[in-house]
Amino acid sequence: MKPAPFEYSAPTTVAEAIEALSHDDAKVLAGGQSLIPLMAMRLSRFDRLVDLRRIPELSGCTRVNGTVRIGAMTRQADAEHDPIVAEGAPLLAKALPNVGHYQIRNQGTVGGSIVHADPSAELPTAALALDATIEIAGASGVRRVPASEFFLGTMETAVGDHEIVTAIEFPVWGPGSGFAVEEMARRHGDFAVVGAMCGVRIEGGTVAQSAIAMFGVGSVPVRCGAAESMLTGSTVDGLDLGAVAQAAVADLDPPDDLHASGAYRRAVGAALVERALRAAIEEAGHA
Amino acid sequence: MSNRIISPVGARFVGQSVQRKEDRRLVTGHGQYVDDIKVPGALHAAFLRSDVARGRITKLDVSAAREAPGVHGVYTWQDFHEQFGEAYHVMMGEALVVPPPLAIMDVRHVGDPIALVVADDRYLAEDALELIELELEVDQAVVDYRTAADDSDNVVHAGWGLPSNVMVAMPFMPLAPDLDEAFASAAHVVETLVDQNRYNCVPMEGRGIVATWNQGRGEMDIIASTQSVHETRNFFARYLDIPEGNIRVTARDVGGGFGQKMFVFREECAIVLAARAVRGTVKWIEDRRENLIASGHSRNESGTVRVAVADDLTITAMSVDHVADVGAYPPCPAVLDPTLLTGPYRIPRMGFSMSMVWTNTMGKVAYRGPWMFETTAREIAIDATARAIGVDPVELRRKNLLSFDELPYTSAAQREMVEITPLETLDQALEMLDYEGFRREQEAARAEGRLLGVGVSVYVEPTSMDAPSLHTEGATVRVEASGKVVAYLGTTSHGQSIETTMAQIVADTLGVAYDDVIVVQADTQSTPYGPGTGGSRTAVLAGGAAQRATESLREKVVAIAAHMLEASGDDLEIADSTISVKGTPSKSVTLFEVAKLAYRQAHTLPADVDSSLEATVRFRPTRFPTWSNATHICVVEIDRVTWRPTILRYIVSEDCGRMINPMVVEGQIFGGVAQGIGGVLYENFVYDNEGTPLTTTFMDYLLPTAAEMPHIEIGHLETVSTTNPGGFKGLGEGGAIGSHACVTNAVSDALAPFGIVVTKTPLGPNDIFELVRAAGHA
Amino acid sequence: MHEVALTVNGTNMRIEVEPRMTLADALRDRCDLTGTHLACEHGVCGSCTISVDGRAVRSCLMFAVQADGADVMTIEGLANGEELHPVQKAFQAEHGLQCGFCTPGFVMSVTKFLETTPDPTDDQIRDGISGNLCRCTGYQGIVRAVKRAAAELNGQS
Ligand SMILES: Cc1cc2nc3c(=O)[nH]c(=O)nc-3n(C[C@H](O)[C@H](O)[C@H](O)COP(=O)(O)OP(=O)(O)OC[C@H]3O[C@@H](n4cnc5c(N)ncnc54)[C@H](O)[C@@H]3O)c2cc1C
Ligand code: FES
Ligand code: FES
Repeated sequence: MKPAPFEYSAPTTVAEAIEALSHDDAKVLAGGQSLIPLMAMRLSRFDRLVDLRRIPELSGCTRVNGTVRIGAMTRQADAEHDPIVAEGAPLLAKALPNVGHYQIRNQGTVGGSIVHADPSAELPTAALALDATIEIAGASGVRRVPASEFFLGTMETAVGDHEIVTAIEFPVWGPGSGFAVEEMARRHGDFAVVGAMCGVRIEGGTVAQSAIAMFGVGSVPVRCGAAESMLTGSTVDGLDLGAVAQAAVADLDPPDDLHASGAYRRAVGAALVERALRAAIEEAGHA
Repeated sequence: MSNRIISPVGARFVGQSVQRKEDRRLVTGHGQYVDDIKVPGALHAAFLRSDVARGRITKLDVSAAREAPGVHGVYTWQDFHEQFGEAYHVMMGEALVVPPPLAIMDVRHVGDPIALVVADDRYLAEDALELIELELEVDQAVVDYRTAADDSDNVVHAGWGLPSNVMVAMPFMPLAPDLDEAFASAAHVVETLVDQNRYNCVPMEGRGIVATWNQGRGEMDIIASTQSVHETRNFFARYLDIPEGNIRVTARDVGGGFGQKMFVFREECAIVLAARAVRGTVKWIEDRRENLIASGHSRNESGTVRVAVADDLTITAMSVDHVADVGAYPPCPAVLDPTLLTGPYRIPRMGFSMSMVWTNTMGKVAYRGPWMFETTAREIAIDATARAIGVDPVELRRKNLLSFDELPYTSAAQREMVEITPLETLDQALEMLDYEGFRREQEAARAEGRLLGVGVSVYVEPTSMDAPSLHTEGATVRVEASGKVVAYLGTTSHGQSIETTMAQIVADTLGVAYDDVIVVQADTQSTPYGPGTGGSRTAVLAGGAAQRATESLREKVVAIAAHMLEASGDDLEIADSTISVKGTPSKSVTLFEVAKLAYRQAHTLPADVDSSLEATVRFRPTRFPTWSNATHICVVEIDRVTWRPTILRYIVSEDCGRMINPMVVEGQIFGGVAQGIGGVLYENFVYDNEGTPLTTTFMDYLLPTAAEMPHIEIGHLETVSTTNPGGFKGLGEGGAIGSHACVTNAVSDALAPFGIVVTKTPLGPNDIFELVRAAGHA
Repeated sequence: MHEVALTVNGTNMRIEVEPRMTLADALRDRCDLTGTHLACEHGVCGSCTISVDGRAVRSCLMFAVQADGADVMTIEGLANGEELHPVQKAFQAEHGLQCGFCTPGFVMSVTKFLETTPDPTDDQIRDGISGNLCRCTGYQGIVRAVKRAAAELNGQS
C-alpha cells in the first residue's frame, strides 16, 4: 500500500499555489487525511501535489462582517478549540469533535473536508446548514460560492481543477439561537451512517430562523427546506417535531450500502432530526 | 464448592501478577517484528492478485514489469513450476496440500496471487505490478456456501477435475440408538437455525517473512511472523528438499496471530522460492488490504439445531445439521467439533451431520477456538428453545448443566468430562450480575419501552487439544556460567506472555529469582521442537515441559551442591539461588558457585556426578484434552432510535485451574471476549454476489475500539487439573468461544418484547432495524 | 529526491526522500526508528501515531517532505534515558499490552491525550483512545493504564 510517484511543491503564497496548480495533473494537498489514503491504495494518483501548508494566510479563524471566517487550511483541531468558532458558529464547534479522531483533526483541515465533500462528512453539512460561503481563488481571481451551490455530487464540488479554496465564511446567528448535531456512526469516530444538524433562532416564543441539514442520505448533504418552513414562523409550543422530522425525510431516497439500507437511513434520519431539533430548541430556550 | 489448589512449597511467582518480561522493549519501541528486521541488500516483494473471484487467465505478460526501475525479478507460475517438493503440514496431514504458490491457469478467489515482483523497495515493486498485463475470462463465482453444494454448474475446483463443491459431507450420525424415539416422544422439540457470520483473526501485524538463501552454504534463513517456527522449518525442509538443519526459522516479536499464523501460506512459499532464485534476501510484508482479503477467513458456519425437552425441562436429546464455508483454498479447514455439541450439559443423546463446502472466497483458517461453532450453535439454540417453551433460559441451563460433584461424566459422543465446574461458574456469574435483580430491572425498563436484554453462554474449552502431532512440547533449561538461568522452549509467542509465565514456573521450580530467568523461544537452531503456539496448549504443555525440565535440572544442581557441601542431596533446599542444608542455612553454596564449579572445575567432581547444568524434557500430559470452562453473561440495551446495541455489563466466571499469572489470564479473557463482541456487533466480512470483497479496509471492516468495548468483570474458580504437574489449564481461546452466543442471546432477549428470536449474526444497528421492521415494529 | 531536515527525538537529521515516501516509512527506513508501526497505512489504526510539532498525528498520513523543519518525537524518544515515561510504566504495570504491536501508537496517543485531558473520566479515556486499535487486550488494561498514568502525572505536577 504505497502511493505512486509524484512531484511535490510547497508554495508560500496563494498566487504561487495557483501557478503550481496550472500544471496538468496537479492536486492540492491540505491535511492529507483523505487524499493520502486514496493515494496509498492507488485509487488516486497525480503528477504533482501542491501542498498549501506553508501559506500562512490560509490559516486562522476571524470574525468578519457578521461571519466567522475560517481559513481553508485551518486545522480541524484548531477550529474546534477556537473561541471565535465556539461563539460565532456553535454548530460548527459541535460538529467538529465528530470528525474522526483527534489525531485526524490535528492534521485534517476545515477546507480539506469541505472540498473533499464526502456525503457523510460533518463539515460540508455544517456549511450547508449555516448557509456558509466558500471563497475560491483561481487564475482569474477570487469568486464566492454559496454552500447551496457548492456540493455537486459525491466528492464533487464547484472548485475547478486549477483553483483553491481559501476560506469559508459561516454567518453568525443572532441571540436566541440553539444548535444540535445528532449522528449515528458505527464506531466512535467513524463517518456517519446518517446524521442531522439543526439550528433554530427563537424570538418571543416563535421560531424566527431555522435550518435542518442531513448527511449520509444521498450523494451530497441536503437541506430540508419543507421541514424548515414548518418551523419558521411557528410558535415553539405548537410544534409537532415528529411531523417536522417526517417532512425532513419525505423526499429523500437514501442509498443502500454496506452499513445500512436506505430504509434505515430514512427512519433513523427522521428520528435524529427530531432529537436534534428538540435539543436545538432546548438550547435556544436557555440562550 | 471448595477450591482445590495445590501450591508447591515455596511458590513465589506462580500465582502472582508479576510484570511481564516482554514489556520493556515493547513499550519503548524496541520490539523486533518482522518488518523491523533490516537485512542489507534485501529485496522487497509485492503480489499481483486476482480481483475477480473465478476466472481463467487468458493473458499474463510480465515483460514490461521486468524492465521497470529497481526490479530484480518478476515471477509467475512458470518460474516456480517444478521448483518445489511436498507442501503439507504435519498437523494437517499429507492430503491437505498448500496450493501452488501462484495461480496456474485460473483464479479461484479475489486475492489469489498470480505474479510476484521483487524490487529494491516496496514502492518500486508496487509500481511494477501496474505494468503487468493480465487478462481474465470471468466465470460465475460460487459465493453463497449455503447453496454451493447443490451448484453443479459452477464448481470452484473444476480445474482439478472435481465434480462438486463439497469438500466433506458426513451424513447424519445418531450417537444414541434411541435418538429418533427421544425426539418423537419429547414434550417439546425446538428447531433453531443458527447462522454465524464471517469474521476474521485480523492481528494488528499482518503476515510477513524475510527469507535469505545462502547459495554457498546451501542454507535458508527465514524470519517470519508465525505461530510456529519449527513447523515452518519442517515444512520448508520438505518443500525445498534440503535437510532441516540447513534451515533456520526465527521470530522475535510477533504482533498477534489468533490462528492465522499457524501454517505456512502460499505467499510465504513464493517468497522462499524467490529468495532462492535471487540468491539473496527477499522480504514480504503483507499490507492491510492483503491481510483482510487474502490471509484466511473464519467462522461462517451455520447449523440447524434440534433440542428435545421433557416436561421437567430435562434436555433428552440434541442434534445439529451443519454446513461450513471453507472458501477456495483453506489453509486450515477447521470447523465445528460435533463431539462438543453437548458441551458442559448432561444431554444423553446426540446426533449430527456435517458438511464443508468450497466457495470462490478466501479460504478458512483457524481462529481462536476454531471448533467453536458447537458453542455458538448450542447456546443460541438453548435460548431459542427456552423462549419457545416459555421458560427462563437460565432455568433450562441450570436443570441440565453438569456440576463438579457428578464428574466424571461421559457424553453421548464419548467425551469424558472431568475437573470442570459448569454449574458452579453459572452460579458465580449469576451472582455477580444479581440475575433476579436484573430481571426486575428489566421488567421496569420494558414498561418504559426500553429494550434491555441479558444473554448467557456456558461452554467447555478443550485446551491442549487431542491432535496427535500436538501431544508434546519440549524444554531445555540451563544454569549458565553466571548462575543465571535460560529456558529454551519450543513455543512461538505472539502475545501470550510466554516469556513471563514460563519464567515464573522455572523460577519457582528451581528456587531462583524471576529476574534471573530468561526464556528463549522461536529459534529453530537453539530450541527444542514445538508444533506451535495455538489451541490453548502453552500453559499445559510448555508449562509442563518447563516444570519437568527444571525439576530435572534441579536434581543436577543438587547433586553438585551435595558434593560441595558434603551433604546428602535429600537434605538440601534451594531458595533465592542458594542451595543450603535444611535447618542449617549457614551451610550453603550459591547457584553461581555451583555453576563456577561445573563450568570451570568439573575435574574436581567425582565421576558419578554429572557436571552438566542442563536438562531437556519432552512433556506429554497424562490425558487429552485438559478441560477448562466458563460462563459468560452479557447485558445489552438497544437504542430505540438508532437500534444500536450497547453492552452495559459483561461478566465472565471462568475456571482455568491454577493460574500462573492472574493478570495474564484476565488479559487473555478480555482479548477473546472483545473478538466475539466484535464479530457479533461490528465485524463482518462481506462479499457481493460476484465474489468481490466489500470490506477491504479498516474503514469498512470494523474492529471495535475502546469506545465500543464494555468493562469486563471476571470471577475465578480454580479447579486444578491433573493432566500436568502444575495443575494448569489453558484458556487462550475461551473468551472468543463463549462471547459470540452470549452477545447474540442478549440482543435476542432485548428484542423479546417484539416477539423476535435472534439466531443469526451479525447484529449491527441496521441488522437489528431490519429484524424489528420485519416484525412490524419499526 | 528531496532533502528534508527535521529533528527527531531531539536529534537534527537530514534525509533524502522521494516525495511519495510517507513519514512513517522515512522514520523506519531512513532513520532506523522501527518503533513506529504500520498496521493499516490508511489512517484508521493509529499504530503509526507520533508527535509532530507537539501534536499526535498519523505518520502514515503525512509525507516525509511535509516534515521539513518539523520537530518529531517517536516512541523511541519518550523515555528519559533509562527512566520510562509514566505512560510507558503504566502500560507495563496494568498489562496494557500483549503482542505489543499497537503499543507505540497507543503510548504516543495517550501521552498527548493526557496533556489536554489530565484528569479524564472512564468515558473520556475510551473516547480519547478510540483512534487506536488493539486486537489483543480488549482495551481493559489500556484503560487502566491511562488512569494510572494520569494519576502519576498529576502527582508529579
Ligand atoms: C480514520 C479517519 C476517520 C475520519 N473520519 C471522519 C469523519 O468522521 N468525518 C469527516 O468528515 N471526516 C473524517 N475523516 C476525513 C478528514 O476529516 C479529512 O481531514 C478531510 O476529509 C480532508 O481534509 P484534509 O485537510 O485532510 O484534506 P486532504 O486529504 O489533503 O484533501 C482532500 C481533498 O480536498 C482537496 N483540497 C483540500 N484542501 C483544498 C483547498 N483548500 N482547495 C482546493 N482543494 C482542496 C484535495 O485536493 C483533496 O482532493 C476521517 C479521516 C480518517 C483518516
Ligand atoms: S498505520 Fe497509520 S493509522 Fe494505521
Ligand atoms: S497488544 Fe496486540 S494489538 Fe494491541
